[in-house]
Amino acid sequence: MLGALALVLLAAAPAWGSQEGGPASLSQQARGPLSVVTTSTDLKALVEEVGSDRVAVESLAPALHEPHAVEVKPGQLRRLKEAQLLVRIGLDHEPWLARVLRSVNDPRFGPGSPHYLDTSKAIELLQAETPRVRADRGVHVHGFGNPHYWLDPVNARLVTGAIADALSRLAPGNREVFAANRARFLERLDASVKRWTEAMAPYRGTRAVVVHESWPYFARRFGLIIVAAVEPTPGVPPSPASLAALTAKMRETGVKLLIAEPSSSAALVNQVATRSGARSVTLIPSVGGDPEAGDYLALFDVNVKRLTRALAEAR
Amino acid sequence: MLEFLWVPFLACLVLTGIHVYLGLHVLARGVIFVDLALAQVAALGIAVAFLAGHPIQSEAAYWYALAFTLAGAGLFALSRTRRAPVPQEAIIGIVYAVSAAAAVLVVDRSPQGSEHIKQLLVGSILTVTPAEVWTLALLYGAIGALHWAIRKPVLEISFNPDAAARRALGWWDFVFYASFGLVVTSSVRIAGVLLVFSYLIVPATVGALLTRSIVGRLAVGWALGLGVSLGGLVGSYALDLPTGATIVVTFGTFLAVVALALAARALVGSVRARGVSSLRGLGVAVSALVGLTGLLLAAFPRADHHWLDWLESSAPSIQRVFLTAGERPVSRQSREALARGAAELERLRAMQQEVQWGTRQMSQEQEERLRQFLASRGEIVAGDRMVLRTLRDKARERQRWWLGLPLAAAGGAGAFLLTRRRRAT
Repeated sequence: MLGALALVLLAAAPAWGSQEGGPASLSQQARGPLSVVTTSTDLKALVEEVGSDRVAVESLAPALHEPHAVEVKPGQLRRLKEAQLLVRIGLDHEPWLARVLRSVNDPRFGPGSPHYLDTSKAIELLQAETPRVRADRGVHVHGFGNPHYWLDPVNARLVTGAIADALSRLAPGNREVFAANRARFLERLDASVKRWTEAMAPYRGTRAVVVHESWPYFARRFGLIIVAAVEPTPGVPPSPASLAALTAKMRETGVKLLIAEPSSSAALVNQVATRSGARSVTLIPSVGGDPEAGDYLALFDVNVKRLTRALAEAR
Repeated sequence: MLEFLWVPFLACLVLTGIHVYLGLHVLARGVIFVDLALAQVAALGIAVAFLAGHPIQSEAAYWYALAFTLAGAGLFALSRTRRAPVPQEAIIGIVYAVSAAAAVLVVDRSPQGSEHIKQLLVGSILTVTPAEVWTLALLYGAIGALHWAIRKPVLEISFNPDAAARRALGWWDFVFYASFGLVVTSSVRIAGVLLVFSYLIVPATVGALLTRSIVGRLAVGWALGLGVSLGGLVGSYALDLPTGATIVVTFGTFLAVVALALAARALVGSVRARGVSSLRGLGVAVSALVGLTGLLLAAFPRADHHWLDWLESSAPSIQRVFLTAGERPVSRQSREALARGAAELERLRAMQQEVQWGTRQMSQEQEERLRQFLASRGEIVAGDRMVLRTLRDKARERQRWWLGLPLAAAGGAGAFLLTRRRRAT
């Protein structure tokens, strides 16, 4: 217990002295890796790409979760208190984080602090119409724009940029290491994006129906057109009338692809697929959501592989 | 419509058949939440199977679930025969909470597991397949036949527990809970917890309200289950609502109607027997309600007053009276502009949908223009809404004094006089 307390004090001490990244952060290097907490496994993967062995990263939420049902464990709270940097997706993607931050009650983890990074600030958002206008179209979840921006691999360029800046501010001695790591990652990323784009090229302009609205960034990158969502409000099952209208429309306009996620109801996906004649494919929305999707690039490898296979069969 | 609803309807019929009968027992025994507890115990079994390395949909997982359910059934049968100092409902609640929490702990280690376990408890009646309905019908047919064969001891335990206790019918009790657990776990998988609970409890409750004989309750329950299933499914289609939730709310509405009708009948009976004075309690309640709404309007004019909104929308003059001569034309114009704007917005959105689905061709530039036009139209409509809201708030400031205070005074005076009269008599 005393040991844990001492750890907390030790971890917090340099933070008080280093608001501007002063000499206190230099002592950080001597004490080993910079401890970083992220809200998602995707951000964890990206921080690890930039930080390599100079960072120790933990994600608060597991790969597949319901945003309203994340339960943080006591050990995670302690590690968040000890952490040098909190990286989050932002927008309204982490409704659970507000309570966690309130219980940790650390002024370092707020906008403007060098210990707090909201990566959405770097991104050009989709579906970010003004809330007032969208309010009369019924309930909708993403009031500030769709938060699934990590599913466009090119956005990883901006996100890792922000991460490298934040890490370098906290550990200036490692600035070169972070920059070199990021450059190597971007090289691999660019080569992969080229490969994925080529694989998807024959299917540009394909229309698809999604179960949840998680894929607008992915779709825009690879030239898919998402025409509708089966469950526009997550957790509220669609009504029979809307399901009938949707499947009829899919048959009529020849939409052959249905994009599901591991958390989608299998019965619902089967029913839409059978009635519309579309082929369903389960894509992984986050790193670690499938044993094959172990890191950020592998996530897209898996998704592009599954998608091209389904598209080839659907033709 | 039929292609989507006939399989769910058959599923509802199968559910009605067995659940209404079991519901009679559950209600008579006062173990209302036993179905939730057993379903949760089965889910815990599947979580343990998952931990042991079996996929959730596998046969092994099914046997795990069955074994856990039987253990739960044994526990409930035991906790009944012993004359324990705590009610059985306490044990059921504890089993529910602990097995739900244990399942969370068991699947905590695997990110893929928890979502799937959750799905075991949130089945959806809309997406049930014909094969599932067949399996259920066969299984429930067999269980129904078993219950017909053992009806004597099981009915005795439920409806005449003291006599049953003298004859040591503990084993029959176990058979009851075991078959009940099997039914509930199978039903919850396809229909979800809420729907299963409603099919179990609501028809039995209505039956108990209307008649005393077991056969009569069964007949009332089956008729109700059939009617509500049909009404709920059609309502869900016609009103574009989620199916399971609609059926559950239809059950609740029906129960409320029956309760109101019974209350009205009792009231009429007492008016006949004791004259108008027996309406006094009702009068006090209504006066108090009127007084309270008036008081709320006077105290918080800007809060939501749905009754007033509803009155104003069905008779707009109620609001017009409270607007000044200058505000009235503004209100009228905004209303017209809003109707026009909303229609236009709907048309444009339909057009955008067509472009997305590919049934209408449009150049990139046209598409962008459409998007911007939609955005600006949306702002204008939102603006009109805001004007109407401001006018409504102004009217409310005046209604506060001219409507809220008189209502409060009238309601208060009515309630006061009625209670005083009662004391005097």
